[in-house]
Amino acid sequence: MSKNLNIHVEHVTRVEGHGNILVNAKDGKVEKVQWQVPEAPRFFEAMVRGRSYEDIQTIVSRICGICSITHSLASTKAVENALGLEVSEQADKVRVLMHYSEQLQSHVLHVGYLAAPDFFGAPSVVPLVAKAKDVVLAVIRLHRLANEWSDLIAGRTTHPVTLIPGGLTKTPTEKQFRELQEKLKNSMADLTAVAEAVLSVAGNIPDFTRKTEYVSLKQDTPPTYTFYHGDITSDQYDGTVKINDWKTVANEYVNDQSTAKWTKWHMDSYAVGALARFNNNAELLCDPAKGVAKLFGLEKGNCNPFMNTVAQIVESVHVVQESIKLIDELLTKGLKTETVKSSPKAGKASGCVEAPRGILFHEYEFDKNGNCVAADICIPTNQNHANIQKDFEKFVPEIIDEGEDAVRLKLEMLVRSYDPCISCSTHMLDVQFV
Amino acid sequence: MSDEGIGVILVNRLSGLSDKYPFVDFVDGGTGGMNLLYLFEGREKAVIIDCANMEEEPGQIKKFSPDEIKSVKQLAHQSLHEQDLLKIIEIAKQLDQCPEEIVIFGIQPKDIELDQTLSSELTQKIDDYLSLICAELN
Repeated sequence: MSKNLNIHVEHVTRVEGHGNILVNAKDGKVEKVQWQVPEAPRFFEAMVRGRSYEDIQTIVSRICGICSITHSLASTKAVENALGLEVSEQADKVRVLMHYSEQLQSHVLHVGYLAAPDFFGAPSVVPLVAKAKDVVLAVIRLHRLANEWSDLIAGRTTHPVTLIPGGLTKTPTEKQFRELQEKLKNSMADLTAVAEAVLSVAGNIPDFTRKTEYVSLKQDTPPTYTFYHGDITSDQYDGTVKINDWKTVANEYVNDQSTAKWTKWHMDSYAVGALARFNNNAELLCDPAKGVAKLFGLEKGNCNPFMNTVAQIVESVHVVQESIKLIDELLTKGLKTETVKSSPKAGKASGCVEAPRGILFHEYEFDKNGNCVAADICIPTNQNHANIQKDFEKFVPEIIDEGEDAVRLKLEMLVRSYDPCISCSTHMLDVQFV
Repeated sequence: MSDEGIGVILVNRLSGLSDKYPFVDFVDGGTGGMNLLYLFEGREKAVIIDCANMEEEPGQIKKFSPDEIKSVKQLAHQSLHEQDLLKIIEIAKQLDQCPEEIVIFGIQPKDIELDQTLSSELTQKIDDYLSLICAELN
């Protein structure tokens, strides 16, 4: 097999800009390997300047059409921290439920439509239907469930409308919660089917490891596999960092090969996402989720980025099980109608939650009238870019003998395993009549 | 994105007519194309309305079926943000979940720059668009 490689994968219309893969190798020696991300500016941090604290989540939820609930939650938490607003126990739990809906939605979409085709040897989900129709149908049912779940609690699937600083505008009724709980219990069959389908082709998951720092939230009080509360930690750090000090973790910097910033903490790069959360908190998963991890041989300390997809399957089971319990907690205590009030004041603070793809930071500063004077947002995919580059640098020499097509495919699979969400583009149909 | 939002604007206006069309669900399909798969399930007909580059005069509305067009979109399959409506329809057919009839209304934009308002070319034709779409719903 030739040891000369000249790969330049240029992606058009995908996400908001290009994610390019560049590999040059001669006589088995890698001369250049780059993950290039020309992320065009979105201007959200400028858009929110001058806007009231009450408008922030409505605007920044538009950053993404898949993680919109996550952006809304992170920004609302930041606003509440800046203005010193307390949230009731009930509202807090309902928000966690809201957040879980998006984890399930995003994870099943990634596993089913992006990662699974790779493992089944299909170029996309279209031919996958012929190979595994029942699995695709299960993914669609889970997607529907997650979206209906989001509709119920967030007000709609995308761009939530029930979140306001200090609480929620509306809480589902007991009847609605019970109906949701029943659907969640019934969804385990589909989740199991998806897990078993991926397990059947797990031998196709590339065997690649690289020592990596994994960054995520950690919650000790009470000990929780957290997506919503807690402080920042990594598997390279004994302790946690307060959310307001997130910049001491991200350490964003500009580099020549990408308009997207890179990040680093204790190593040259770090990874965020499901595998990061697993590596920091796996012992806190519910038993069914632990069972799924065991099926795949996924253990704490795993440094194979391709296993991020397996970690997503594990987390999907976890959030469904935890949501069933959370609904019981809410209804045992009894739902109350809550009135939320807030008033403007000056303040500056950060908010942080785990997006499906990793830890997300929002920071805002407000003047005494409650108008935003500054904003800073650091998304999870940005935090993964440097790590993808480092993975490329180690991976390419290991697979260089496999030929150009195989190397190209495996590098694309590697990027896909991170479940990138560089930004969400609006679009129109581009039509050619035949 | 100025005229790119015409689909959302029209579906919001149509939602106000839900009493007149009790058997129709008006849905903002958003940017997550895979949402359409379960929205299609169990439906007899789907009417899709979107901004479309058809190389027509700005404001022009055209009605067509999926069979009358081909996709020029190249997908890298790396992100859930990239979708192709025609591929979604193809998947739905393979899953036996595709409506028997799909009608697409494309509206040629004048402007897709960063702006919260439609261009005048589209604004002045909104009632015409609604009439055509309602005729399809009838």
